Amino acid sequence: MSATLFPAQEIGSLMKPRWQILGQHGEPLDERARADFRSANERTHFADDAASAADALLDGRSREVGADAVRDLGALFALRLFESAGLARVYDGEARRIEMYEYPIRQMRGFQFQGHVRSFDNKYYLKAAVTDEVRLERPYHVEEFEFVRRHARAEPKLPITGPYTLADWSYNEYYLGRRPGWKGPRVRREAQREFVVDLAKRAVRPTLAALIERGCRVIQVDEPAAGTHPDEADLVVEGFNAATEGLDAEFSMHICYSDYRDLLPELLEAKRCRQWAWEFANRDREGRDGYEVLRALAEYGDTREVGLGVVDVHRDEVESPELVADRIRRAAQYLGDPARLWVNPDCGLRTRKLDVAARKLDAVVRGAAIARADFANPRA
Amino acid sequence: MIVRTGLTGPFPRSESVVAATRDLDRGRVTPEVVEDLYARTEAEVVALERRLGFDQVTGGYLRWADLFRPFAETWEGFTVGPLTRWFETNTFYRQPILNAPPERVRGAIAARLPPALRAEPGRARVILPGPYTFAGLLENRSGETEEALVHRLGRLLADEVRELTGAGYSTFQFTEPLLVDRPPERALAEAVVAAYGSVRAAAGTATTVVWTYGGDAVPVYPLLDRLPVSVVGVDLAETDWEAIPASSERRGLGLGVVDPRTTLVEDASDVVRIVHALKDRRRPSVVWLGPGGPLDLVPWEPATRKLHLLPAARQMLVRDDGGRS
Repeated sequence: MSATLFPAQEIGSLMKPRWQILGQHGEPLDERARADFRSANERTHFADDAASAADALLDGRSREVGADAVRDLGALFALRLFESAGLARVYDGEARRIEMYEYPIRQMRGFQFQGHVRSFDNKYYLKAAVTDEVRLERPYHVEEFEFVRRHARAEPKLPITGPYTLADWSYNEYYLGRRPGWKGPRVRREAQREFVVDLAKRAVRPTLAALIERGCRVIQVDEPAAGTHPDEADLVVEGFNAATEGLDAEFSMHICYSDYRDLLPELLEAKRCRQWAWEFANRDREGRDGYEVLRALAEYGDTREVGLGVVDVHRDEVESPELVADRIRRAAQYLGDPARLWVNPDCGLRTRKLDVAARKLDAVVRGAAIARADFANPRA
Repeated sequence: MIVRTGLTGPFPRSESVVAATRDLDRGRVTPEVVEDLYARTEAEVVALERRLGFDQVTGGYLRWADLFRPFAETWEGFTVGPLTRWFETNTFYRQPILNAPPERVRGAIAARLPPALRAEPGRARVILPGPYTFAGLLENRSGETEEALVHRLGRLLADEVRELTGAGYSTFQFTEPLLVDRPPERALAEAVVAAYGSVRAAAGTATTVVWTYGGDAVPVYPLLDRLPVSVVGVDLAETDWEAIPASSERRGLGLGVVDPRTTLVEDASDVVRIVHALKDRRRPSVVWLGPGGPLDLVPWEPATRKLHLLPAARQMLVRDDGGRS
């Protein structure tokens, strides 16, 4: 529990600023990118820790700066944005990551990328098949965490893709292919269980151990695929438990765009998970209370913290602090304990332009302050 | 035993179409460039279908953004709504919003069929949404009940079939994943049977297919057996095939034997064993083999690889049957 009611935290990625994208590709910044950089730096002084790289980038010498140093600047930019918004837990906005699947998979052996699959319209994602036993080449996210730890002024919180999602977003050839005969539902499920547990034990857990060894204390395990197959909630749990077994850190589990009731009570068997970081604001509309699902946690007697999504990351309209405060009050009522609430965006804010993301974070923090004052002085 | 093979849903876009459509969204290529690539890739899919000996061709339906989009964009009463997860997959469709009782627009769907099919419509498989899945997955603001909507969509789809049979098309598949995901009960189930009655009446001698996927078809077999269609297809990767009930009705048995959820290629001998068992139990007039669901859940190259299962299984089945097909 936090000493202060309703501390705020980030939940995932931020959109990369234009200057970072141009700089990473070795292209000189155009006028707009330069103006964005300067204006952000005036607000947060993010470039103070990398002044020479910043000067060279603004001077049109992107190639000289190099992609890695540009990403360092991107990470500093995100850190300072989160910190200046008043978040208690921060990360680097996933400034070095392209997405949450391909990068971890590329740090492992046993996978072969198969090509692109359409997600919707003209949006696609690259998908790999597991064709051999999963083996970790080297723990990942370690250097990026060390950079964050060196530079963060608030408490760092590292997001990492969970084993169930890595498995669900891959094709299972190896574990399925080892089973003879027709691959019906029961066979597929057992093969998937083996895949998830292998990923957890052989790849995610060693990575978590390496991160913890370097001082990582707060870790968010992202399982966005959990809601895709509600009848596999037990596999989500088995993967989480195997990945965190014997490890000492403050773990949370982020799930979004799911009907959480469908995942309960199986999900509650996740040991060492101290916080559920879930999306709610997206489903909170006039005539529909998006937070009411929290009653289910109370009904099952679950007393973990909740990272409460209080702003929708799929809409540009910025929630008012009063709406955020109202959402917090409702959630506290359903949970029966305000002290268990953290507040955050529903999901990563990379879907929103940076100015919208910053205003949404501001609404989170200001809304939390209103709610905090209410709870401190309930008759006011 | 007569064995038919073919695609039962969209084929994946090729990597070059992926790249071109991404570039289109970023303003790096013109729509004409993408249009030309679509045409060439559809022709490539048709060539693949012919090479594999499929009984019907589809062209892959590469341009269809989702099963409903051509309808939501052209029929009256609809607007295109928010992204919504497509069953238990990591793919999404834009939910059609029905603001008023729907009306079809003559010629609109025919114009959206893959152009590669128009030259030889008699060999084409027209793939349409089933009325139950369509009614159940749209956001209904029309004021009609779901039962009434299933009836109405059945009549509209029947009109579509009537128009397309006039243009020479003779095989119509109605895609119905919702039938196994959320089986209809009582009045709604009767509405589904009636909707297919409308389709059957419009189809004349054309072949009508209901293709289910994404769930176990066994619990819904009593309803599937009542549908007045030529063929009913089930997803063998999701269905407990050993529990499929016996039947004396000699109509077509559709079996989704290519699992679109994995790049692993199925073993033809496993398929043959299941077909033999079901042939004895169901006594089908014809067995249709195809993917168990939308094959665009895997990329182009593994999808192509997986499809080779179909001619291999057919060859073994025909051989077992003394060469009759």
